[in-house]
Amino acid sequence: MIRSNRLAQVVLYLCGIALALYIIAPFLWTLSASLRLETEIVVRPPNWIPQRPTVSNYLYVFTGQPPQEYEERGLLRSSITQEALRLPQGLVNSLVVALAVTLVNLSFGALAAYTFAREKFRGRNSAYTFILASRLLPPVAVAIPIYIIINQLNLLDTKTALVLLHSAFTLPFTIWVLTLYFQGLPREVEDAALVDGCTRFGVLRHVVAPLAAPGLAAVGAFAFLFSYSEFLFALFTTQTINAKTVPVLISEVANNPDASYTLIAVGIVLSIFSPMIFAVVFRRFITTGLAASLGK
Amino acid sequence: MADQPVTSPFQQSRIKLGRRAPNLYAWATILPVLILVAAFTLYPFGFAASMGVRKYILTQPNVHPFVGLRNFEQVIGDELFSVSARNTLTFTLLSVPLVTLLGLSVALLLNNRLRGFGVLRALVLLPWAIPLVSAGIIWKLILHGQFGSLSGLLYQFGLIEQYIPWLSNANLAMLSVVFAHLWREFPLPVILFLAGLQNIPPELYDAAKVDGAGAWARFRWVTLPLLRAPLLVVVIYETMIGVAVFDMVYVLTGGGPGSATTLISWFAYTATFKFLNLGHGAALSFIIAIALALLIIVYLRVLPRQEAAT
Repeated sequence: MIRSNRLAQVVLYLCGIALALYIIAPFLWTLSASLRLETEIVVRPPNWIPQRPTVSNYLYVFTGQPPQEYEERGLLRSSITQEALRLPQGLVNSLVVALAVTLVNLSFGALAAYTFAREKFRGRNSAYTFILASRLLPPVAVAIPIYIIINQLNLLDTKTALVLLHSAFTLPFTIWVLTLYFQGLPREVEDAALVDGCTRFGVLRHVVAPLAAPGLAAVGAFAFLFSYSEFLFALFTTQTINAKTVPVLISEVANNPDASYTLIAVGIVLSIFSPMIFAVVFRRFITTGLAASLGK
Repeated sequence: MADQPVTSPFQQSRIKLGRRAPNLYAWATILPVLILVAAFTLYPFGFAASMGVRKYILTQPNVHPFVGLRNFEQVIGDELFSVSARNTLTFTLLSVPLVTLLGLSVALLLNNRLRGFGVLRALVLLPWAIPLVSAGIIWKLILHGQFGSLSGLLYQFGLIEQYIPWLSNANLAMLSVVFAHLWREFPLPVILFLAGLQNIPPELYDAAKVDGAGAWARFRWVTLPLLRAPLLVVVIYETMIGVAVFDMVYVLTGGGPGSATTLISWFAYTATFKFLNLGHGAALSFIIAIALALLIIVYLRVLPRQEAAT
C-alpha cells in the first residue's frame, strides 16, 4: 500500500513537471529569442540559450538605437523600424484603455449590479436578462455595424471608442458576477444602515463595497485582461498610433514578412508583461470569481 | 436565487412606494449600462439585419437597394463558404474535445494537494492571461518552417531529418492552429473543473470506497456526474470560442496555405474588409449566429435538464 502510494506520487510529480514544461517552455523560448541578435536566431539546431546574450533589441525599441550588427550585415529594414518603434506608445495606449475599462466596470457595473441585487422595480428582470443575453451574440455578428456606428460617431481611431466598446462587452459579465456576489452578502447590516437614513448609494459605498472587495477585484481583473487582449475591434476601429493597442501592433510586426524574428520576440515579451503580473497578483480573485459564477 | 428574508415593515412600505412611482434610483443606476449595451449590441444587430438584406458595398456608397435574401444566396453559393464551413466544423470537432479533455485531466492532476502544486495552479493561468495575439505569435515562432524551435527540438533528438514547415503545409496547418489554440484555451476549463472538483464532498468518495469502488469506478460514478455543470459551461463556451476563432488564424496562417485554415469568421472578415461587401459580411455573420444558437440548443437538450438549469 505504502509503495503503491509512493509510486503514485512519483507519477503525479512527473505529470506535474510535464505540465509545467508545456506551459513555460513557449514563454522561455520567446524570452531567449528576444535576447539574441538576428544572426544567432537562424542557427540550426537552435542554441537554446543565447551564446552572446544582448538587450540591444530592447534598447532599439525604446531608444531607436539599432543594434550595430544589423547595420553591418545590412539587415536594417525601414518597414520594421517604424512598427517596432511604436510599441512603447502602444503599451501606453493599451494600459490607458484597459484601466479605463476596469474603472467603468467597477463604477457603473457595481452600481447597476447592486441595484439588481437589492432593489425591486418594474422591468428589473427584463433589463437584467437583456444585459446578460447581449453577450450571447458572437462578436463577428456585430463587428461590421459597429465599425459603421463608430465611424458615424466620429470616433474612429480613438481610445474613447475602444473604452466604450470594451466596456459594453465586459459589463454584462461584471454585472452577472457582482449581482450574485452582492446577493450572497448578509443583508442585515445594509438594512440597518438604510433605517439609519443612509441612501442606497451610501450603503453601496460605505458598507457593501468594502465587504465585496474580493468580488470587485475579480471583475476588475477580468475587465482589464479582456480589454488588454481584445484584438478584433481594436483592429477594425484603429488606424494610427493615436489609438492602436499592443495586440494590433505586434500582429503588424509579426505579419510583416521582412520582420526580424528577434524583434517579434521582443514585442511579445513586452506585450505579455503586464497581463502576466496582473494575473499572478489577482490569481486568487480570478479563480474564486470564476468558481462563484459557476456555483450559482 | 436566494430566498428573500422576511421583510421589515419599513421595507414593505418602501416596496409599496416603489410600486406606485417608478424607482428613480434603480433606473438611474442601470440606465448607463443599458444604453451602452444596447448601443453596441442591440442596435448593431438590427443594423446587421438590415444590411444583410441590402446590397451594401463600401465602394458604392449611398446606394443600398433592398435585395431580399440574395446576399445569403450568394454567400452560401460561394465556394469558399462550404470550404470554410467544413474547416470550422473540423476545427471545432478537434478543439472542443481536446480542450475539454486536457482541462479535465489537468484539473484532476492539480486537485491532488501535493507540495509544489500550488505553483502549478498559478502557472496554469498564464497562457490564458496573455493576449490571444501574443499566444498566436509565440506559436508562430515555435512552428516556423526555417528556424522554429519545435522542429529544432525534434531534429536534435534525431526524430526528423529536415525541418517541418508546420504552418505552410496544407495538411499540418490546421493541426498546428488547433495545437496553438489548445495551449491558449485549456487554462479556463482547468479553473472551472477545479472549482467543480472542490465542491464534491469527500464523504462521497469514502462511501464509494467502502462499497468497493476502484479509482475508475469512483471517477465514473462520483466525479463525472458531479462535474456536469462545469462540463456544460466548458463545452458551450469552447464551442462559441471555436466557431468564432479569428485572432489565432489572423496571426498564425492568414487562412492559408490556400484555404486550408480559412475558418468561417476569417471568411466573413475577408468578405467584409478585403472585398468591402458589407452585405455579404452581415449575411455571413447572421449564418454564424444562427448556427451557434442552434448548437447551444442542441447541447442544452442533450445534456440533462437539471444541470442545464444552472
